Amino acid sequence: MFKLIFIKELKEILQSSRFTISFAVCSILIILSFFMGAQNYLSGKAQYEAAKQENYNQIAANTEWISVNHSIMLPPQPLMALVTGISNDIGRDIEVKGRGELSAQNTRFNDEPIFAIFRFMDLEFIFGVILSLFAIIFAYDAINGEKVSGTLKLCFSNSISRASFIAGKLAGSFVGLSIALIIPLLIGCALLPVLGVNLSGDEWLRLGLILLSGLAYFGLFLALTVGISAMTNKPSTSFLIGLVVWIFAVLITPRASVLISGRMVEVPNVDEITSEKNRYRFQLFADDRPKMADFSVPEGTEPQQVMQEFSKFMNQLSDERAKKTEIFEEKINEQYINKRRQQERLALALSRISPTSVFSLATTELAGTSLGLQNRYMDSAQDYQQVYNNFMTEKTGTGGMSGFRMIISTNDDSGEEPETIDASELPEFQFQTATLSTAASKSIFDLGLLILFNIVFFGGAFLAFLKYDLR
Amino acid sequence: MIKLLIEKELKNIILSPKFAATFLVCSILILTSVYIGVQEYHTAVAQYEANQQIARQDIAQATNWGSVRNQVHRKPNPMQVFVSGLHFDVGRVSRISDFQDVKLTRSPYSDETLFALFRFIDLTFIVQVVLSLFAILFTYDAINGERENGTLKLAFANSVSRASYLISKFVGVWIGLIIPLLIPILIALLITMLMGVPISGGDWASVSSFIGLSVLYITFFIGVGLLVSSITRKSSLSFLLLLVIWIGGVLILPRMSVMASGQLVEVESIAQLEAKQEAYQKERWDEYSSTISETWRKRSREMEGMEDAERQAYRDEKEWDWLEEDDAARKQIQIDITDNNRKLIEETMNQKKLQERVAFSLARISPASSFRLAAMNIAGTDIDMKSRYEESMRDYRDKFTEFTQKKQAESGSRGGFSINVDSDSGVKIDFGRDDQTLDTSEMPQYSAPVLTAGATLSKSVLDFGLLGIFIILTFAGTFISFLRYDMR
Repeated sequence: MFKLIFIKELKEILQSSRFTISFAVCSILIILSFFMGAQNYLSGKAQYEAAKQENYNQIAANTEWISVNHSIMLPPQPLMALVTGISNDIGRDIEVKGRGELSAQNTRFNDEPIFAIFRFMDLEFIFGVILSLFAIIFAYDAINGEKVSGTLKLCFSNSISRASFIAGKLAGSFVGLSIALIIPLLIGCALLPVLGVNLSGDEWLRLGLILLSGLAYFGLFLALTVGISAMTNKPSTSFLIGLVVWIFAVLITPRASVLISGRMVEVPNVDEITSEKNRYRFQLFADDRPKMADFSVPEGTEPQQVMQEFSKFMNQLSDERAKKTEIFEEKINEQYINKRRQQERLALALSRISPTSVFSLATTELAGTSLGLQNRYMDSAQDYQQVYNNFMTEKTGTGGMSGFRMIISTNDDSGEEPETIDASELPEFQFQTATLSTAASKSIFDLGLLILFNIVFFGGAFLAFLKYDLR
Repeated sequence: MIKLLIEKELKNIILSPKFAATFLVCSILILTSVYIGVQEYHTAVAQYEANQQIARQDIAQATNWGSVRNQVHRKPNPMQVFVSGLHFDVGRVSRISDFQDVKLTRSPYSDETLFALFRFIDLTFIVQVVLSLFAILFTYDAINGERENGTLKLAFANSVSRASYLISKFVGVWIGLIIPLLIPILIALLITMLMGVPISGGDWASVSSFIGLSVLYITFFIGVGLLVSSITRKSSLSFLLLLVIWIGGVLILPRMSVMASGQLVEVESIAQLEAKQEAYQKERWDEYSSTISETWRKRSREMEGMEDAERQAYRDEKEWDWLEEDDAARKQIQIDITDNNRKLIEETMNQKKLQERVAFSLARISPASSFRLAAMNIAGTDIDMKSRYEESMRDYRDKFTEFTQKKQAESGSRGGFSINVDSDSGVKIDFGRDDQTLDTSEMPQYSAPVLTAGATLSKSVLDFGLLGIFIILTFAGTFISFLRYDMR
């Protein structure tokens, strides 16, 4: 009997005008989001390459390694364009000096606010906001609609158990609607290589998981709405309840949880911390001033020699200052980072009441655009800074470039242009991208929660229908 | 007759569960969003004030005008409670220094990525996305639903003209939607005032034009709903059609147009721009160092063959002029660099402006974009906010550097140290004076750019006009199609 109901439900969905139109809209939306994501990735990559080249040219024009100014950039990733997460809100460019604290600047939305006005239409938005709404529109009259039109009574005049009816209904609508999603999703995936976006095997798997969690999220809203429909007598009531639930889950809970955690955990003001660090640095320099003024060399030393002595002396002082600063900054940062982590943990825990947040967290983690992106980028940059420092030490004898930089050039009147440096010797920055195993292990909790939500809502719908008044 | 019809329609709507639910949802959403907005605003103000304080302290700590670290901040705007616009995306602080161009960095979202993960929802989003959806829910079956029930036939069995029927439908739905919008907004305004957000005279003008704009936008969606309902026979079909229109207009078109303009007009990234600026800077300074050594060699050649005493006298006589000369050359380079930076920025800005124009012209096909753009213009959190601030900060930078240079000239110290190499007396390193306490009372103060109500209104007049035209078109369409509607 289950099979019969399942097929009836499937046929009914596939033949309805509601399905045709939603299928068309879903297809357009999903394919467009893949298309726009791919375009976005390609233009971001072109920009990235151009900026990198510009930086390279600028370095190559130098005649001394010591006068090099070097910046690294966050390389765009294909999955970043499909699930943007916070990738447009974090600084992308870091100036590497070989020593000292790094700061990332130039967020995409700050540089190009035009994209911030309407934001991007990524998969997270489409599933999280639009497809969940579609699930409600599809299922709000699944049970009570049949009751109003009288078909429910007719159905049960046959020998059908309630369990097989509701199971058939749920399975039928889920399968029917999943088809409407899977086809455009597959087309979208196929579009990526055609447009020139090549994903690695690891990325394909992560994308696959993102799409699966999208389907699970859709299924959860479907089951929830069927459940609401099985608890109300009129389709209009179930639709409105569904809408209220949707607004709370999608729009209110995630933001409210961030706000509440912001109230509960006080994080020190970033500007205050920055200023404290600056003041410390300033103080150290002021302390060193008398020492600098006392600098002296034996009478009659060659000027060339004096300058070298002086440079060495200054570098030594700045090295000492840099060490002190690093210790100070580490201490002050640790406190700040701990508070911030605490705030984040609380906010995310609270927000997980809403399936939408759970879905967002899972997909951004899989795409590598979650809150961890910033840390990963900074860690990669920190590692690179060490490599850069070693390289510069080898080239110039001094790696820590944060303090004092002195270039002594003697002119021999030969009129020859000094030779430029070979910029290709510079070690390349490698960004540590999220891998499947780390992303999966970090998102496993949220993926589990999504499945749990599914089970609870399917079970709820099932139970609600068992008690439903069919008349 | 029309009065009776309106009354019937109103009663119908107000007594329906649809109305109760809309009212409830709107109230919850609007009040939460404004409450959150007020909290965010207060946090921003507290941070802004703390930063002002820190900046003053930093300046007071300096012992030399040459080493003053000055920075200015973007001021929070009370209107961001209702229309956050680009407030969270644009940087909020810029260094003011001789050696660096003005650049807003550290957007609120980049400092607190947690908030970027689940973005702030403002009143504009609620009206643009949620209320337009409600407008569709209210109107999708306004005409064809009555036909399906058979009540349309019954209504027209009386002596009712089609025009008056349509008007009464519209008025009924309009009031039914505007009440759930206006009452929570008014309560929210009251909360905003009670919670101590300073709304000035100009802001009131902005708030009322924002409310007017929202009403126009909702009216448009009511018009579309009635239009679709009067050209279709089945309410299920009109609902789906309207949903397609809603998704297309509210979600797809605005984003598509920005993406398309991004493809059509190429704009250099900031990283690229900065690399170019840096390359020029480096080139000029290299040039400077080679000319300066050339100059000094020339000067020492002039002294060749002189007696020691003569040389010393010559030196003493010329030294001041030489220093002035070198200083002038150095300043010229700095001016050139600043000019070149500005030129490069201007080129990029022009490209950006073009990109914006293309994007917004395309986006305005959808009234949802018109609504959003106008709301941001009214609130002053629009796309020009960044350039407006950066321009005013550049003006301030000019004033500030002029001031510090004057002060340095007065006190005769430049900060930093100078190295003197002489083949006779050897190397002298002079660290200058660092014993001054700075009198900051004369220092020029930065003031945020002020937008007058007139200026903001003139920027949004196009969008108001467009919304008006859209409304007229939909209503004319509805009227014509309803006149021909088959009532059976």
